[in-house]
Amino acid sequence: MLDAAFLVRRQQPGLLLSALSYTGGLAFGLAVSAMLLVQAGVPASALVDEFLVAAFLTSDGLSQTVTAALPLILVGLASAVATRVRFWNIGVEGQLWLGAVAATWVALHEIGPESMRLPLAFVLAALAGSGWIAISLVLKQRWGVNEVISSLLLGSVAFLLVQHLLFGIWRDPANSFPVTAAFPPASRFSALGWGQLHAGLFVAALIALAVWFLLERTRAGFYADAVGLNRQAALATGLPVRRTLAGLVLLSGALSGLAGMVIVSGTEHRLNQAVGNGYLFSAIVIAYLARAKPFWVVVVALALGAVFTAGNVLKVFYGVSEGMIVLVQGTVLISILMAQFFSTYSLNRPS
Amino acid sequence: MTAAQKAIAGRAGSLPGTPPALDMQGVGKAFDGKPALEDAAFTLEWGEVHAIVGENGAGKSTLMNVATGVYAADSGHQAINGAAIAPRNPTEATAGGLGMVHQHFRLVESFTVAENVLLGLGKKSRVRSVSEAAALVMAKSAEIGLPVDPHRVIADLSIADRQRAEIVKVLLLGARILVLDEPTAVLTDEEARALLDFVRRLARQGNAVVLITHKFREVAAFCDRITIMRHGKTVLSGAQVEGISEEEVARLIVGETLATGGRPASRHGAVRLSIKALSLPARAHGQGLHALDLDLREAEVLGIAGVGGNGQEELVACLGGLQRPASGQIILGGRDILTATPQERRHAGLRVIPSDRFATGMIRELSIADNMALTSVSEGAFGGPLYLRRDRMRKRAETMIDAFDIRGATPERSAALLSGGNAQKVLLSRELDPGMKVLVAHSPSRGLDMKATHFVRTAIRQAVENGAACLLISEDLQEVLSLSHRVAVMNRGTIVGCRAADDVTPEWIGALLAGHA
Ligand SMILES: Nc1ncnc2c1ncn2[C@@H]1O[C@H](COP(=O)(O)OP(=O)(O)O)[C@@H](O)[C@H]1O
Ligand SMILES: [Mg+2]
Repeated sequence: MLDAAFLVRRQQPGLLLSALSYTGGLAFGLAVSAMLLVQAGVPASALVDEFLVAAFLTSDGLSQTVTAALPLILVGLASAVATRVRFWNIGVEGQLWLGAVAATWVALHEIGPESMRLPLAFVLAALAGSGWIAISLVLKQRWGVNEVISSLLLGSVAFLLVQHLLFGIWRDPANSFPVTAAFPPASRFSALGWGQLHAGLFVAALIALAVWFLLERTRAGFYADAVGLNRQAALATGLPVRRTLAGLVLLSGALSGLAGMVIVSGTEHRLNQAVGNGYLFSAIVIAYLARAKPFWVVVVALALGAVFTAGNVLKVFYGVSEGMIVLVQGTVLISILMAQFFSTYSLNRPS
Repeated sequence: MTAAQKAIAGRAGSLPGTPPALDMQGVGKAFDGKPALEDAAFTLEWGEVHAIVGENGAGKSTLMNVATGVYAADSGHQAINGAAIAPRNPTEATAGGLGMVHQHFRLVESFTVAENVLLGLGKKSRVRSVSEAAALVMAKSAEIGLPVDPHRVIADLSIADRQRAEIVKVLLLGARILVLDEPTAVLTDEEARALLDFVRRLARQGNAVVLITHKFREVAAFCDRITIMRHGKTVLSGAQVEGISEEEVARLIVGETLATGGRPASRHGAVRLSIKALSLPARAHGQGLHALDLDLREAEVLGIAGVGGNGQEELVACLGGLQRPASGQIILGGRDILTATPQERRHAGLRVIPSDRFATGMIRELSIADNMALTSVSEGAFGGPLYLRRDRMRKRAETMIDAFDIRGATPERSAALLSGGNAQKVLLSRELDPGMKVLVAHSPSRGLDMKATHFVRTAIRQAVENGAACLLISEDLQEVLSLSHRVAVMNRGTIVGCRAADDVTPEWIGALLAGHA
């Protein structure tokens, strides 16, 4: 049967068709996930509650979802910005760690007047993140070193640096775990009085808006698309290829660094060994599903935040294992990716 | 054995009363609701070479893709040697005796010729090893007189070699009816002649050949009958080639007659571009440049003739600033631009029309408006750095689309959806701007239909009459001769001769080209 059918690329998939196939993919993924969870012992009646109600429809759940989404938005944007110019930033976690270290330094050493602590941490975290990715950028532009390898390895270097600090000079003597002391209040984003949500919300929202404007409305965004899609043609038509590439790559690093700052100053209020874990994977998935479009990055990051929230609830209340949670998340993502495929290709069977 | 194979096995040559090799009637096919074929008809007899001609986008490839099962027709009938058969995929078509060589070859680059044949033969074949396949290739190659080395890896072969490999593969898979889609567009004149000679022989041995082409001289010299397509319809179906004139064919193709313009009026101006001792070391896949000299004057077309692969690509890349020559000078407007960036060259008035539009000229995935704006955004034509005036880009694109009569274009459409001729118009609309002083045009009408070719040449002619200097690099000798005031011949990375166009003789060019081993 199938050998008589073939795939034809659609020229311009319609909006309705795309919407339908995404919804279909999501529904399929959720259905399969539900079966997995029921197998794992979660009562079927509780599923709707935990997935939908807990993540979106209760005030607590929603605030948790949004809080979790803030750093996801930033790393998703970081990955999207680099993807636009076809620079594969696999070092998102490394830049995030560096940003967190910069913010922690300002907090622990009480640098500058109190009112300037957060702005200073903001600037330094961004600089630290772009400084870290600058190494991969220079290696690539100077000697053609593949950025996938260099940025990935620099991620490990950054993690070792964090461990060095946590087991060394920054270790909180009052704590048996390798963590820093809690930040003074001047270095924390103020709480908004709704669950864990904090003022980092405004930071993330403003940044997302700025990145959207940059990519979709400015000259630099236009250059970025041209450079990313066809570097040779961009060169030949006289576009500033190196400058555009460098600018967007450094921005990508800065965004990752800011994600680190938002985590330590917003929710953790200290640096520990776990704050950056898993963000590389999330960043790539978000940027891919959002096709590197800033608006969709925000949407996908919120959805992923909800998935994390629901996962936590399942873990805590039903004793579902961490592996099962990852399996469910993977199932949903793969279903959506398949839907994306079928919205760009149609299956034709000759009559 | 399929019904078609049985039908063909019983074939008795092109005797009267034999069914046609391929018969298609009332064929319709639409893509995304846009008709590509409407009530098209085509009849191919055994023993003949049948030309299909028509503008880009007329539906030639689509018609043959329907015949060979690449696409399913929306309506119509099809018979192969009298048996009603509509192949559901190309494999079925080839097994049924109908094989097609596409514009873009379907060969696995990293395999040898024999491995490709083995792959194509599939599971059902009795051939099991590469050596058996190689023996088959050699036997077939000898039988039909088409030299192919079965052990060469495709990636290492020239275009002409690949084409021959593809033909032998298709014939080995069982084709008796061979469809060639614009096979000569990628060949030199000499290679084309060899291929067409072969094609004629193949037909005379009792097979049948469909030849899609843009070149009337190929039709006149090598084909028996001609079918002309326009806008998805067959406007002339299977007329004898003898007794039909080039003007008649041209009229049917475009639906109106074209004046064949001459060379632009020349005013013998000052030197605009001067290249001195330009050298570039040879790389693994390409010719270098060796102490190349030339002068180009204003209001002049200097044509550079020569066989492709003799440094033409490299010369264009060095002029455009995409490759850095080892030594020499490129003097434009009194200044040496050897190390200038592409953008600086542009400011000095240099414009390039590359031979491969979508490699360095345009960006397939971007919209037509974006492609038209590529070179002028940085000049502030569409607002400052902080806000891009997309509304102005759209307006400008609309004006250009009208002015250049770019069919099937809207500002928002992706450039990838344009046919070759219309894509070239987009490029011209951008490059032939008022700031242009020197135009480097590399094979500007390659792969274009008659009407688009006419348009491109007229545009160049006008630009030169307005004072621009044009370096026309082309492997199409007719193109060079029809536009140039002076003709230079390029061979092995340098200019081997140059004279006024009026003094150019075939012998002179032949002798210079023959220096090419
Ligand atoms: N796969 C396809 N999807 C959508 N449109 C197509 C496809 N193939 C061809 N077309 C359209 O059909 C028309 C005929 O194209 P084609 O047969 O390739 O022309 P030709 O070979 O005569 O230049 C063109 O308008 C082209 O854009
Ligand atoms: Mg075609």
